[in-house]
This record gives sequence, C-alpha cells and structure tokens, in this order.
Amino acid sequence: MSDQDRPERGTDRRTFLTRSAAVLGAGALGGGAAIVRENADAQGTGASGEPSSGEEWAVSQAQLAQGESFDGYHQAGILTPRPAQATFAALDSVAPDRVTLQVALAALSNRARELAIGGPIPEVMTGPPPALLEPDAPPLDSGILGPVNEPDGLTVTISFGASLFDGRYGLAARRPRELVRMPTFPVDDLDPSQSHGDLLLQICAHQRDTVTHTLRELLRTVRGALQLRWMVDGFSGAARGPTPHSSNRNLFAFRDGTANPPTDDAKLMDRLVWAGPGEPAWAAGGTYQVVRVIRMHVEFWDRVGLAEQQNMIGRTRSSGAPLGGTEEFEDPRYDLDPRGKRIPLTAHIRLANPRTAATEDQRILRRGFNFARGFDAAGALDQGLIFVAFNQSPSRQFRTVQDRLLEEPMNDYITPVGGGYFFAPPGCRGEGDTVGSGLFAPAA
Amino acid sequence: MLAICAAIVAFVVVTAVDGGGSGGGHRQADAGTPFAAYYARAPHVLSSKAVYSLPTTPRLPSYPELVSSRFEAPIAQYRAYAAAQLGALEQQLPVLRAALEANDRASAQAAWRSAYTTYLRLGAVYLVGPVAALNQQIDGTAGGLEGGVSNPRFSGLHRIEYGLWSGAAPRSLLDTERRLEAAVRRLHGLVPHVTILPLEYATRAHEILEDAQRDLLSGADVPWSGEGPLATYAGLEATEEVIATLKPLLVGDEGVLRSVKAELALLRSRMDAIAAAHGGRLPANAALTQAQAEQLDGALGGALEALSEVPGRLEVEIPPHVTPIPSGDVRIDP
Repeated sequence: MSDQDRPERGTDRRTFLTRSAAVLGAGALGGGAAIVRENADAQGTGASGEPSSGEEWAVSQAQLAQGESFDGYHQAGILTPRPAQATFAALDSVAPDRVTLQVALAALSNRARELAIGGPIPEVMTGPPPALLEPDAPPLDSGILGPVNEPDGLTVTISFGASLFDGRYGLAARRPRELVRMPTFPVDDLDPSQSHGDLLLQICAHQRDTVTHTLRELLRTVRGALQLRWMVDGFSGAARGPTPHSSNRNLFAFRDGTANPPTDDAKLMDRLVWAGPGEPAWAAGGTYQVVRVIRMHVEFWDRVGLAEQQNMIGRTRSSGAPLGGTEEFEDPRYDLDPRGKRIPLTAHIRLANPRTAATEDQRILRRGFNFARGFDAAGALDQGLIFVAFNQSPSRQFRTVQDRLLEEPMNDYITPVGGGYFFAPPGCRGEGDTVGSGLFAPAA
Repeated sequence: MLAICAAIVAFVVVTAVDGGGSGGGHRQADAGTPFAAYYARAPHVLSSKAVYSLPTTPRLPSYPELVSSRFEAPIAQYRAYAAAQLGALEQQLPVLRAALEANDRASAQAAWRSAYTTYLRLGAVYLVGPVAALNQQIDGTAGGLEGGVSNPRFSGLHRIEYGLWSGAAPRSLLDTERRLEAAVRRLHGLVPHVTILPLEYATRAHEILEDAQRDLLSGADVPWSGEGPLATYAGLEATEEVIATLKPLLVGDEGVLRSVKAELALLRSRMDAIAAAHGGRLPANAALTQAQAEQLDGALGGALEALSEVPGRLEVEIPPHVTPIPSGDVRIDP
C-alpha cells in the first residue's frame, strides 16, 4: 500500500492498535475480568512487560487466595474445575515395611492439607517456634513462594496403582476390584520408565510455582519411603471463549472436553464416576483414574489439510461444533447420519461417544492437560496430551471406549508413551485422617 | 504457501484500514456472526478477525481434478519397484543367516543394516489385510505388545536388532531369521497383486518421510541399533522413487514439483556429507554432532513441508461440502 492510498486520517494498523488499547484502557470493557496490557510498542511509551494495571493485580490476588478443601467425602481434583497448571508424579514405594508406608501416606495427606489451606510458613509464624526446630536447622518450608503459602486453588489428588497391592505390604485383599496394571494397547509404545507406579500424585493449581512448590514439599515429607518413578508437567489452554462455557483447546487445536458429563449432576456422577457395588467397603467414594501420556506428532498434524483434520475429529476446528453444526454443544445427530456421510464413522467423537442408549454408561469424566517438554532426536517437538479419565469401571468405560478408538485414523498422529491405571480413594474425613487410611483399618 | 500468507496479511491490512477509517464500523459489519461479542470485547485483535473472516465455503482448488485411471501407470511402476526391493532382500537375508550361524555379531549387524534398509526402501507398508499382517511380522516393533520385547509375537527385523545389539548369542536368532525369510517370500508373492488406491498412493508421497521423522530419526523404532539416519536415508530413496512415478501427474504444477525436488536433493546432499564425515557410512543417531543433527533435522523438516503439498494436488475428487444438520433438528446438549 502506497502512502497515497492511505485514508486521510492516517489510520494504519499501528495507530489503530494504539487507539484500541487506549479505548480499552479507559474502561470500555464493561464488567469483564479481562486484563489488558497496553501495547507499549505501539504506544511508544511505558515500561514494557510490567504489570501496569491494578486490575491485573486484583485478578492474580483473587486467584492466589482461592482455596479448595483437601478434605471431603471425595478427594479434590476430580470434579474440581481444571485450573491452568498441573503435575503428575508417579511414585514407587521403597518403604521397608507396612508401618513406614502407613506413616508416609499420613505425612503426604497432612502436608497436602496444610498447603491447600495455606498460611505463613513456620519461620514467620507468630508465637514460640516449633520445639524441635534448632535455630540453625534447615527451614521447614523451602520458602519459594515467600513467607506465606497462598492456596492458589491447589488440589492434591492421591491415587494408588495395582502394584501397591502386591505382597509387600499385605494389602492384596484390599485391592479395588478392577485395579490392574494398565494393559498395552496395540497403538501404544509405552516406555516402562514413564508408565505405572505404586502411587500417583496429581497436583493442580492456577500458577506453575505453586505446583512446583507443592511437589517439592510433598516429596520432602516422604523421603526414603516413596521415590519418583516418572513425572510430567501439564497445562490447560486458556479460556479463550467465545463464551465462558467454551471448551479449551488441545495441541491439535481442537476443543477437548465438550461432551464431558456435567459434574454438578450428582446422580450421574454416582453412575459414571464413583466406585460402585462390588468394591471393597473402604473404596466407597473413590474412583478409578486412568492416565495416558499421549505424544501428539504436531508437525505431522500441521501438514494435514483442514478438511481431513476435521473429518478425523468430527468437529469444526474453529467453533468446535460437530460437522454440519454451528454450536460447540450441539448434538451431532448421528441418528440422522447413520452411514457417516456428514461425520465419518471413524471420527474421534463418534467412536469415543456414539451417544446411543447402549453406550450411555460407558461415558468417562475427562480432566486432561496439555504437555510440552522439549523435542526428540529428530528435532520434532515432544508435545501432547496427558489424558486423564475418572470412571467407575475401567472395563465398562475407559477400556471399552479405547478399544473402539483403535480404529480411528487419528492414531497415525499420536503415540501413547506412558501413564497407568490408578484408584483414587475417598477423601479424608478431616484433620487426622489420611487418604488411603481405609487400607490399614481393621477389617469390619 | 507463501501466497496464502501474503493473502492473509493483505486482508489484515485492508481490514485495519476499513475498520479504523470508519471509526469502528467493522464491528457493526460483524453483528450476527458468532464472534460479534468477541470483537466488541477485544477489537484490537485484528489478526484473528482476518482469519475468522475468511469465507466459510471452501474455494475450489484452481487445479483440475485428476481421473483415477491416471494413477494406474505410477502404481504399476511402484509395484515393480517394490517387488525388485523384495527380490534384493531375498538375496540379502541368506548373508544374515550365514553370519548368525557363524555366531559373528559384527557381520550379522552389517547384514542386518543392509536387509533393514532394503526393506525400508519399499516405503511405508501401512496397508490393510494380509499385507499389513506380513509387514507386522517383518517390521513390527515391540511397542504395542503386552510385555514388550518378551512377548512371543515380537519377531522379524526388530527382534533380530534387539538380539544383536543387546548381547544375545547371534545363533539364538536363527529361528527368527527363518520366519523372517518366509514372511518376505510371502510378501514378495503378494505385492504384484496388491490393490493400492490413488489416495493411498498420493498420501504415500509424504507419509514415508513423515514416518521416518516420527519413528526412525526419532529413534523410536530403532532403539537398540540407533540406526535412525540410515533408515531415514532409505525412506528418502523410497520417496524419490514415488515422486518420480508421480511426476507426469504433477505436470502443470511445476512449483510444487520444483520445491519437492529441491528439498529432497538438499536432504540427500546433507546426508551424503554427513556420511562422508563419518568414513562413508551414516552414523547412528547418538554419533551425530549437534551441527549434523540440526542440518539433518532441518533438511528433513523442509522436505516434509514441501511434500505436504503433494497429496492435495493429486486429489481425484473434490471433497464434498459438509451438509448442515437440518435446522429443525438442531439440539443443544443440556
């Protein structure tokens, strides 16, 4: 565009950006919680990168102050809305005996509860210092979050793998009925050093430093008893709308979680998520947690035509609507498309949830996170999905769905490399109780 | 690709001027689109607006639809090529067998390298039915098998690789080698008659090297020998062959053909230079220097971007427009 073509008022893209920023800065936003950083480059003034807005500060402080209860009939981090950051850490027990394991589990719950509540760390607590703390002893908290641990929406979900119920600790009789070592599916390329484990910690919070701090503190409390086996950090896509209900995107750019069963429907959760009849008594209120670390070959995916991508998923990439639809949450109406002319019969959403009466009780509650962790020997990005499903019965639900998905063309673009089957026991009754205390309670 | 980017940039500039010049009039123009509320909230995000504003009905490609009969000659040529590779493999396997019988690990590893690269020169046998089953017996990995390498169904070239590079007695691999020879013979018998659809063949032009990047150069499929670069070279040769057969169909699309040939030539010259620097043989992944790895990964990435244009240019049917869900039947989930 030459200068002569320029409209009289001289609005090019640069000045337009400046003006938009100014308008927004003046409060044209209305009641939204959006935070606008002035475009320092376009403005030509201002300290770039500094949080300039009081609004930004207020939002971050409100998030840091938000607390999720560690205790409850069910553990937190299952029905809890998914925050931005997560770490999944699988641990193996190296505890020499049953009592050591029991003590370690108690320490884990106690510390997780403290961190979820938050508060000043011991060195700044008022009142006399803890009796055991020598003046030159290492501090009781690493202190990386400052003198006060803010809860930041922290949830710590503790679950057990099948191997914990082997002969070592006399727990075999307490094994949840369906808890087995995760089978190897034909599409898998499982790395044993990224799979299975005696215990899984799922740590979620709004901020990365909260998650990092929590893992560090929890491992400290169980040193010598529980040892890291594998771990992976996750993040969720930001809520980018267009509505507050719009599902976030995964790294294939498609919305993920659209067809999740509603977590506020308690009766439905009883049928789909929480342990059912036939489980040991101590397991009531718990749920099976399936974790699959799925590498997504994103470069390959980006070299596929949009129509083919959409046919593999069954949804429109931009809106998330089922193919032929306009709204993300629209019913895909497979009944009107029995031969798959609109949505192919092998499309991901169609195989995952065929929406028939017979498959209704196969639905799972997904709570996955994206991961991005460097690149491989071919220079290709090591990114993907930490698939997380909570379900009442892996054989009826996750396994059935996964077996159907073995036929999907999307399998060329993904490789499941790790994960495991776990059982998340019921939550704690309160202070003094421990996640998994039912394992050790005398038989009723 | 560059042309598309240029078009989007041009669109952004034009929109910016229109929107700015009329004092935010672009917002009114968008009323009624699903993003109207969004623009009101964040009118500064012009790039998204430009992308979302692109026409929703797909434009028809400017190049003509191909009749599928034009694929007959290329596919016949490829079948002959594949049969020749399998013939060569049948000649090579007795050398491997002799080295195993002699319990000579170094010779067996050398013979394995030759046999493996010959097989990979076939180029991505990801077909259905008996051919896929034979491919599993010949080139299957331990990944999808319960118990991994200890699963008795783990057989073929990678079972031999595992044995030769992890200390097993070469002689202990003889049974596996005999079964491998039998599977190769059966595949050789099938290949001249196998049906390959035009779409599969067009896709193969880029998927051979996609598989090489995903499974070979990454080390995923060759964890014991680490021969990813060598295996990738075989994929390059297979791709060159497929592109050569498709050349008559890409006439009239010299831009795509030219960039594909240039990128493949660059990849070949980089790999030849790496081999030359390692005494005439491509080294295992771990022996590449940082600079060599970057050169190789970069050239492979460039080749893949160029190749990704090929299947689209070889469409035998224009993708049908997606039929909307009848408006009277739209239901929103609770």
